[in-house]
Amino acid sequence: MSHEILIIDKDASHARALCVYLERKRMENHMAFTPDEAAVLYDNIEAQVILADPGLPDMEVTAFLKSIKSTHAQVQIIIMTTLEQFDQAMAELKYDAVHYLLKPVKSTALDMALYQARSWIELNRQLESTKKKLKLLRHTQHLYQQLFDEVPCYISVQDRSFRLTATNKRFKQDFGDEIGSHCYAVYKHRGSVCQTCPVADTFADGNSHSTEEVVTSKSGKQHHVLTWTAPIRNGEGEITQVMEMSTDITEIRQLQDHLTSLGLMIGSMSHGVRGMLTALDGGIYKLETGLAKNDMARTHKAFDQVKQMTGRIRKMVLEILYYAKSRELHYQSINIAEMADKVVGDALAIASKLGVKLEANISPTLGVIDVDPTWLQAALVNFVENAIDACAYDRYKQDHVVTFDAFELSADRICFIITDNGMGMDQETKEKMFTLFFTSKGSQGTGLGLFIANRVIQQHGGTINVESELKKGSKFHICLPKSKSNQPKMVPVSKKLTTGVNNETDNKK
Amino acid sequence: MKKILIVDDDPNILDYMTSLFEDSGFKTFTARDVQEGLKIAKKEVPDLITLDLEMPDEWGPRFYRKMSQDKSLKNIPVIVISGLSGGDHAVGKAVAYLTKPFDRDELLKIVKETLHVS
Repeated sequence: MSHEILIIDKDASHARALCVYLERKRMENHMAFTPDEAAVLYDNIEAQVILADPGLPDMEVTAFLKSIKSTHAQVQIIIMTTLEQFDQAMAELKYDAVHYLLKPVKSTALDMALYQARSWIELNRQLESTKKKLKLLRHTQHLYQQLFDEVPCYISVQDRSFRLTATNKRFKQDFGDEIGSHCYAVYKHRGSVCQTCPVADTFADGNSHSTEEVVTSKSGKQHHVLTWTAPIRNGEGEITQVMEMSTDITEIRQLQDHLTSLGLMIGSMSHGVRGMLTALDGGIYKLETGLAKNDMARTHKAFDQVKQMTGRIRKMVLEILYYAKSRELHYQSINIAEMADKVVGDALAIASKLGVKLEANISPTLGVIDVDPTWLQAALVNFVENAIDACAYDRYKQDHVVTFDAFELSADRICFIITDNGMGMDQETKEKMFTLFFTSKGSQGTGLGLFIANRVIQQHGGTINVESELKKGSKFHICLPKSKSNQPKMVPVSKKLTTGVNNETDNKK
Repeated sequence: MKKILIVDDDPNILDYMTSLFEDSGFKTFTARDVQEGLKIAKKEVPDLITLDLEMPDEWGPRFYRKMSQDKSLKNIPVIVISGLSGGDHAVGKAVAYLTKPFDRDELLKIVKETLHVS
């Protein structure tokens, strides 16, 4: 490339001699004899090298050179001066000039100075371009790091031994900063490689693979994730690492489970609902005919039947509502003895209809408890009614008794014990009784009652213990903390689909 | 007096249908499961049977199959009254198929037509 040279020298003959010399060297150049001329020329030609005699002690030229250098740092200045002015010129311009030559200028010295100036120009140009590239690189790197970190899924990069070499922010949040650990240890808390591993598959064939996994975060929470892998290759095209991207689909799965079980529920309950409606029709029919015939006995009996069926339908609808909707508990301070009396009162009608004796031992000095009275009472009634049903279904004994005891276990714990001498439960029923849609009552049951009762007790921070022997009877111990502060926080009922006294009873796994 | 056997596991429904049929001048018998139903059917030889399809121990269609194998019972008309919908073919030779909750006038009409009673 050509480097235009601007010569500033008030000694016109010297300037011309230089000009002729440079032209002979095929270097384009322009001459100026005063700083003003130089300024006009410089604006037009954008010289890259200025060859100047500062013409000291006059300071005009040095001032012009300094101002050019301050606005155009890339311009290279070579000073030509006499021996007398040499030191002063150096003192004035210091590092603003790349070279100082003695006048009259010798051609070899000028060549060397120009060569050096051009080298500086070239180096500066390269440096500028590298700086620009570096800036772009930093910007890109920052952008990619941001993308890597902010993508709403877990990203990890793994080597051939499944060690994590990089993880994104979301991953670090839920699984810790575990660079160097094994993927299977961090995601699944395993000691060895998983049986099926999409990362291993990608290392083997270089393609993307996908699996659905259940992983456990450092807080112990389980996440359903959809995992995709992609190979990372080096310059030679060899796969050195594999990137694994996992999207959390826990909520989708939960929703899906909930919808599935809602569908299942509607299906399994339709027979029961139809039976109840038919029985309600029966009650209404007998009520109508009883009234028409003025048969009071029939009317009374019919009215009882209508009342009973309405109660059953009401209970079922409430159960469906409870299950279908996520429900927060509405706590109130309730007198325990009064609530227990109501529970017994609610169950009394059914007990007497089915010929079961219901005995209550409720201490009047039980104090108050923080509960949602609607749901806790419904849950307790459910346990008592189940005990009564267990008696009604029993064919081995003549006399049946259900007892309901309420007493204080400690200053902050209250216990209800419901005992019956009914049919008792076999092992299977005992294991499954709190499972969703499990019923031992055929079309009479929805499989929701004990599931919900158990959930309600759990939500209140309570515990249930069951003793039962087939043909002999059952005993339910239900214990609850009196104050809300002693209750653990629970997830809303509808978000969790499975339950059981212990994990073995879960049928959804 | 024409005799009707009602087979259903729900005591409330048995009670309902007993009243309904007796008020219309029929004699009724009730059975809560397949075994009991077959026993009464053999003993009383009813003129008509109403049959629920879903019962806890045995299915209604099984009752119908067993009944069809008995010469004295196989010609008794059967009305299926079930809480299941879409099971019309479970009992092929049923004279009618009603879904719970049923229309009692419709049931009585079918019963009277089947038994030629006005």
